[in-house]
Amino acid sequence: MAESLLSPDLLRRLERLQIKARRRAQSALKGERRSRARGQSVEFADYRDYVPGDDLRYLDWNLYGRLDRLYIKLYEEERELAVRLYLDASESMLFGEPTKFDFARRVAAAIGHTALCGFDRVAVSVFPAQEADLAAYGALRSLRGRAASPALLRHLAGLRAGGRGRLNEALRRGAIEARRPGLVVALSDFLDPEGYEEGLRALVGRGAQVTVVHILAPEEIEPNRFGDLRLVDCETGATQEVTFGKFRLQAYKKTLRRFQDGLKGFCLSRGIGYVSCVSSEPIEEVLFKRLTEAEVWG
Amino acid sequence: MSFLAPAAFVFAAALPAVVFFYLLKRRRTTTLVSSTLLWERFLAEARVSAPFRKLRLHALLFFQLLAVSLAVLALARPYLPSGAMLQGRLHVVILDGSASMQATDVSPSRFEAARKKVLELIRAMRDRDRTALILAAGHTEVKQSPTSNKARLRAAAAECRPADAAGDLTEALRLAKSLVRDRPDARIHLFSDGVTSDLSGFESQGLRLLYHPIGVRARNVGLTAFEARADPEEPGRAVLFVKCLNASSNATTRRIELYADGRLLDTRAAELGPRGEAAAVFALPVNRPLLARVRLAGSDDLAADDEAWAPLAPPRPARVLLITQGNPFLEKALSVLPNIRLAAAPDMPEKDDFDIVVVDNVIPRRWPEGNVLAFGVAPTNVVRVVGSLEQPPIADWQASHPLLRFVRLENVRIAKAVAAQPARWLLPIIESREHPLAAAGERGGRRWVWTAFDPLESTWPLRVSYPIFIANAVQWLNPVQRAGAQRLLRTGEPFRCPLPRGIAQATIRRPSGAEQTVEADPAQGELVFGGTEERGVYTVRFGTNQVRFAANLLSAQETDLRPRPELALGRHAAPPSVRRSFVDLELWRWAAALGLLILLAEWWYYHKRTV
Repeated sequence: MAESLLSPDLLRRLERLQIKARRRAQSALKGERRSRARGQSVEFADYRDYVPGDDLRYLDWNLYGRLDRLYIKLYEEERELAVRLYLDASESMLFGEPTKFDFARRVAAAIGHTALCGFDRVAVSVFPAQEADLAAYGALRSLRGRAASPALLRHLAGLRAGGRGRLNEALRRGAIEARRPGLVVALSDFLDPEGYEEGLRALVGRGAQVTVVHILAPEEIEPNRFGDLRLVDCETGATQEVTFGKFRLQAYKKTLRRFQDGLKGFCLSRGIGYVSCVSSEPIEEVLFKRLTEAEVWG
Repeated sequence: MSFLAPAAFVFAAALPAVVFFYLLKRRRTTTLVSSTLLWERFLAEARVSAPFRKLRLHALLFFQLLAVSLAVLALARPYLPSGAMLQGRLHVVILDGSASMQATDVSPSRFEAARKKVLELIRAMRDRDRTALILAAGHTEVKQSPTSNKARLRAAAAECRPADAAGDLTEALRLAKSLVRDRPDARIHLFSDGVTSDLSGFESQGLRLLYHPIGVRARNVGLTAFEARADPEEPGRAVLFVKCLNASSNATTRRIELYADGRLLDTRAAELGPRGEAAAVFALPVNRPLLARVRLAGSDDLAADDEAWAPLAPPRPARVLLITQGNPFLEKALSVLPNIRLAAAPDMPEKDDFDIVVVDNVIPRRWPEGNVLAFGVAPTNVVRVVGSLEQPPIADWQASHPLLRFVRLENVRIAKAVAAQPARWLLPIIESREHPLAAAGERGGRRWVWTAFDPLESTWPLRVSYPIFIANAVQWLNPVQRAGAQRLLRTGEPFRCPLPRGIAQATIRRPSGAEQTVEADPAQGELVFGGTEERGVYTVRFGTNQVRFAANLLSAQETDLRPRPELALGRHAAPPSVRRSFVDLELWRWAAALGLLILLAEWWYYHKRTV
């Protein structure tokens, strides 16, 4: 199952990457991330005056020799980074060849595997919830350590998509539930009639480092059905009548570009990373180029 | 621009229908999509989502409205009146009524088909248009002077009947040309099969002549010649010469039947190649007046040329008087001629009961009242002598004249002749450089042949042309022969007959049985009857006399039924158009064609956008 999501070769290449955290880790648990907390590591952070009770091992004897004053050397405490992945499993993600959902969970698996290899904590939040997958959701709620990577891949591969996804609600709830902000990657097509702004705003407000992976199907980029159409929304059941011909393709693309630009502009103005991709393109292109450029990892 | 059918603008109601259909929703294919979000935005931007929407200028709508407008315009039959808007246009319709128009290759006949087209043209006339109707049958006749009264025109067209005579459209075209003079907008419509005499003498320059050709084929065999002569070797017998022509491009065989007074006497098979001719000679004894009839057995497209009649009478020898001082050449030449009774005298006797008087260089005591062949002399009221000619050369002669048939004069030398001015009715037949050397003519039923020289003062009597000329002259002057010739006419030719003194009218019974009384000019002493368009046997009664004559079509031109798609007019003439439109500047075809193009463009545009 794991092999079906990411090849061993791809997994090996991903292991050489490291999740980039623009902010200091705020986890309580020790890890390999620099944090604001002072503690024991090799990274010198600052000096402070000695007060009785301090560990004498951290006294800077050279400074004492020159200044005749006692200073304690402070080191950055390395803590773990919480990486939270929001995976859209709504009905609309089943479009495209391969489906947008497949593409999204492969990207999620890649990020999760990389994070786990970096001793970061990974949590995968899938919305909307499928009753059959509740066990997998539980297993994906918190994973840590490289050893958890096969479980991550297995559970991701076993997920199903369907129903109506409420993006705003899922992100907002995730922002509230997260104990520490950490790194957030939202993988969705963002084609929610209720919008995405509220959810993303909540995540940013929580202080998370958010990256948006916007996945569209090829037929959404360039529709291939023409004529007099009655379009039915697979999630909401809403219908829309349209007369569509090649002559209107440019106008449609313009609308799509405006939508993508709207999302991108919203993200960039709030320090959210934005990665746009099509479900049919090679995953390596997205992982090693697009996500690297977006500084998700490096 | 005006309209022939303005009521058709009712169809303009189709315009709102186009708009209505444009507003209607279309039948749509249901398609499941991941989200309608993008489409809603797209439609919101394109503003095409509502079932009824605000009417916007759209190329397809424009195409459709244009197509419907053009269709309505075509139905309203617009036309461009050229110039004379107020007085309307002048149409001159020539309806060909020649014998060939009786052909039945077009049902029921070419003439009826032409009449139908004429009636259609009359129906298509505008109220202000004026139309004249000319029937070009045996004679050209204006059946209706220019009028806008359609009822009168229809009645005139209904009155028209085809004749059995050969057609000559030149006269009709000239008449039409005179009618449309100074009317540049006028049109001449010629409804004909084009079977007519040579039209190259007619210049149609500047005329709007529209030729409506009629006829599809030429499956026809017809009699083209029928002559009856007395047998030179056996005076009591007549020889009938018959010739027929096959107008078709296929070979055929027809049987020629000879009837005498309704009794079948003889038949001959005539084998005719494609467009070929065949001849047959019949001989029959004529010991009493009888009516000979030849008939082509079988049927073809034209019946008018399948029969010919000839009233025959026992031949009577012509009485010829030769007034001469002695002329062995002339006496010999006359004595060998068949069927004449020759008498010779030095001067004109008191009793003048000769058919022909030959005056050989002698001035008679009194000039004869009958037919005269005069050598070297003539009364001054016939020929005025102005001088003399020494060795006048023969510059020209009318080889086509019956008198000079088979006569060649190159080797004739003349020593002396008189320079004379013959009376106007005498036509020169042999000419020197300035003066005629021989003339011939007819006046008051008398024929004259005159030569300006004594043949004995020339080498002519030594030439073979001399006895031929004498024979031709006697035949031409012979009233018996002429009466025989007069009994055998072609349809359309006038019948002439000398009337006894005191008789000024005659009753003529036509082949159809209709009788007609004809007044003759007593001063002329001759009956002239021109109404011979009907083929068959005519009976003329005057006083106690009764004469029969036959009028036969006998026209190779009419027998050759091949329809002519074009008419060869004069040198400067552009070929007349072969259009079948009745109102020539009608624009509906253009409007309809443009409408069709617009529809095609609309179809193309629609598919270009949606596929």
